[in-house]
Amino acid sequence: MSANNDEINNLLNQDYKQGFITDIQADTFPVGLNEEVIAKLSKVKNEPEFMLEYRLKAFRHWQTMPSPDWAQLKIEPIDYQEISYYSAPKSKDNGPKSLDEIDPEILEAYKKLGIPLAEQEQLAGIAVDAVFDSVSVATTFKSKLHEVGVIFCPISEAIREHSELIKQYLSSVVPVGDNFFAALNSAVFTDGSFVYIPKGVRCPMELSTYFRINASNTGQFERTLIIADEGSYVSYLEGCSAPQRDENQLHAAVVELVILKDAQIKYSTVQNWYPGDKEGKGGIYNFVTKRADCRGENSKVSWTQVETGSAITWKYPSCVLTGDNSVGEFYSVAVTNNLQQADTGTKMIHIGKNSTSTIISKGISAGRAQNTYRGLVKILKSAENARNHTQCDSLLVGDKCGAHTFPYVEVKQPTAQIEHEATTSKISEDQLFFCQQRGLSAEDAVSMIVNGFCKQVFKELPMEFAVEAQALLGLSLEGSVG
Amino acid sequence: MKTDMSWLNTFRQSDLTHFEQTSFPSQRLEDWRYTNVSAIEKKQFALASQIEKLDDNAKSRLAAFTLNDCYHGIFIDGFFQASLSTLPESITVCSINEAATLHETLLAPVFNQAIESPHGFTHFTNAHFSDGIFVCINENSQLDKPLQIIHFATQEAMSATRHVVILQNNATATLIETFIGVETQTYLTSSVLEIFLRDNADLTLYKVQQDSDKAYHFGGTYVQQADNARFTHHNFALGSVLARSEIISHLETGAQCELNGLYLGANRQHLDNLTRIVHAKPDAVSREYYKGILNNRARGVFQGRIVVDEDAQRTDSQMNNRNLLLSSDAEIDTKPQLEIYADDVKCAHGVTVGQLDEKSIFYLQSRGIDEDHAKHILTFAFANEMVDKITVPSLHDCVFTQLLARFPEGAER
Repeated sequence: MSANNDEINNLLNQDYKQGFITDIQADTFPVGLNEEVIAKLSKVKNEPEFMLEYRLKAFRHWQTMPSPDWAQLKIEPIDYQEISYYSAPKSKDNGPKSLDEIDPEILEAYKKLGIPLAEQEQLAGIAVDAVFDSVSVATTFKSKLHEVGVIFCPISEAIREHSELIKQYLSSVVPVGDNFFAALNSAVFTDGSFVYIPKGVRCPMELSTYFRINASNTGQFERTLIIADEGSYVSYLEGCSAPQRDENQLHAAVVELVILKDAQIKYSTVQNWYPGDKEGKGGIYNFVTKRADCRGENSKVSWTQVETGSAITWKYPSCVLTGDNSVGEFYSVAVTNNLQQADTGTKMIHIGKNSTSTIISKGISAGRAQNTYRGLVKILKSAENARNHTQCDSLLVGDKCGAHTFPYVEVKQPTAQIEHEATTSKISEDQLFFCQQRGLSAEDAVSMIVNGFCKQVFKELPMEFAVEAQALLGLSLEGSVG
Repeated sequence: MKTDMSWLNTFRQSDLTHFEQTSFPSQRLEDWRYTNVSAIEKKQFALASQIEKLDDNAKSRLAAFTLNDCYHGIFIDGFFQASLSTLPESITVCSINEAATLHETLLAPVFNQAIESPHGFTHFTNAHFSDGIFVCINENSQLDKPLQIIHFATQEAMSATRHVVILQNNATATLIETFIGVETQTYLTSSVLEIFLRDNADLTLYKVQQDSDKAYHFGGTYVQQADNARFTHHNFALGSVLARSEIISHLETGAQCELNGLYLGANRQHLDNLTRIVHAKPDAVSREYYKGILNNRARGVFQGRIVVDEDAQRTDSQMNNRNLLLSSDAEIDTKPQLEIYADDVKCAHGVTVGQLDEKSIFYLQSRGIDEDHAKHILTFAFANEMVDKITVPSLHDCVFTQLLARFPEGAER
């Protein structure tokens, strides 16, 4: 083994590839948070009056809340007055009208990230909303989507132009005071994506948002709201990255999904925020609230996440299975290396009859990282014949990391069937030896075993994402084999 | 309560101070999130006092639970009854109040050392215990018959007992804890047992909690297992309206720990089981298997945690929790947890909540047994799997009788 270690280390010792900084002029608020900042934010975004009230209500509530400390995480205290809550690339007037007006530096940045914004260069079939720091800089294929009635636009635009939908659905899944970070997000969110799929429409292409943090000392607070009306379907992808910096940056997003009768949303995330360096310096704090409400009968939501980045991940994409026969799925691969920490999992709240849920969680912990699965399966009395199957597997790479499994199962309905199983293991010498004996190098063997371990989740990802996820997995485990 | 034992008094005082500050645990604490003990405080129980003699009714209840092939240490309302007890002479065994002076050199160095995360109930018990048992088995010795400790509550009051068991190197013993009370009496029994197993010692411990259906019960068992020590625990939670059982064991190199449990809840019973197995050193093995059946408005709680410390390489650990809900008002909350800091480990846990296996029901039906009866048989068998693990014949019969009383349709034809 030891002869191979250097080789593997070298191969895996690649740096964070998305760590570059784009040099552009930006309008950035001075650091600090108070009601004036929020009023200014709302004004800059040209928001209607009701949004300012909404934000202030959230802010006032947030001030009364303590920062949560129950997760298996060590978090340096965050000074919320040392963060700038708005940073936008400078533009001539109110946002670019077409690609020609976007700062070429930004276009270049997205190009480097592999997200071309010019439609003809794109893989056919994916529409992208590109969010740069606090604002959406471009949304592609808007007009093509418009033909079938799909609304796909920055949420700040939706607030101005589709305020009825916003009033009806915003915070209807994640209430303003739901938790500390959701409240903060509600007060200061700057942009994000809004999607509305009308009745009976199968969205003709995959929708995607790419989040990029560029400015320093800023937090990114994005908000995503997706509404799938009766009988509709949409597949939505989310990706993200940030420059390599020594200080921690806060990313506190809220994602709300509303799924009506017979509709379906497939939500995939590849999270690759800057994880900090090998000594744990810098990196993004990724504190995200994601929740889907399956309101109608036969509605379905599927969360798939590949979490490789961030210094700290605190994220529990949840499904509220309100409708009868509704389905919730959660597929997750969470990789932590060096000093990364992740406390992630899901909540499945069964309310409707015959609702079913599946949880497949794969945690990989390497270096000195701590990786925690935390999940809740709750079967309310009304959820006759509810079904849940949970499988949580942890893989340990190295003897200084930790893998923890904290499931909560609460059942109030005798006809419910719940199964939960969890295992923790490491890549054994035997497995490695077997592969090497058949001519694979040690690093290929590790990569093959890890990919096999995650396969159940990767097969749920759309194709382009699956390729990216596998590549990321190799990168994230840099220097961890030994 | 004796006051002359200064070293023990120091513990009492400090725990009393803690208890006065914190009182019983609140649901805000993670380990108590599913169990609300405020009802105990509302009852405002007085501390139990020594009673003169038992009435006939109480006598017959005590006799029914006194096992014939065992030694006996009997506590009534927390007070040791030397005249009713039959203690073995081959080992060191006496009440803990006596041991505090007689065996100070054995007891003082270990007292309170196994309680790693104290809370309101351990503070309460340490502050207010009236007595308890002290057992020490010498190196290479064996206890020839099981020792049964009976806790019998007769008064509407609260009683606390505090016990310490030490098994020196290569010692072997079987202990049985029985908790009973006068039927329909309301009371609080709180018991804390510390166990120290030295190298290669082997202890089998049974706990049968059959308190009255209005009683409140807390029982904490805290174990330190030295190298290669073996600890087997069988935990039966059958009685009381609100019961909390805790088993926490700390395993050194090569130790083995087996925890079995059965909780049968009916009516408005609330049965909470917390277990924690800490693998502190390499090569230890643990197995945990808890089963629950909840009927009527009963609520079951299972909180199991396996901790594998950084040093504990080659740990082999399995935890399993299976539950049956028989009524639409019953509830189960289960929280099986793995906390792992070492890489070369085999750890797994599983939980199921559900109904009886359809195929098994069908099999029985195909052999001419109607559906209801088939369900009764399978429910009985589900619980009986745990009862069958009891190897002390008189105890097996005693628990089996309780099981039959719960599920009469399951066994008869």
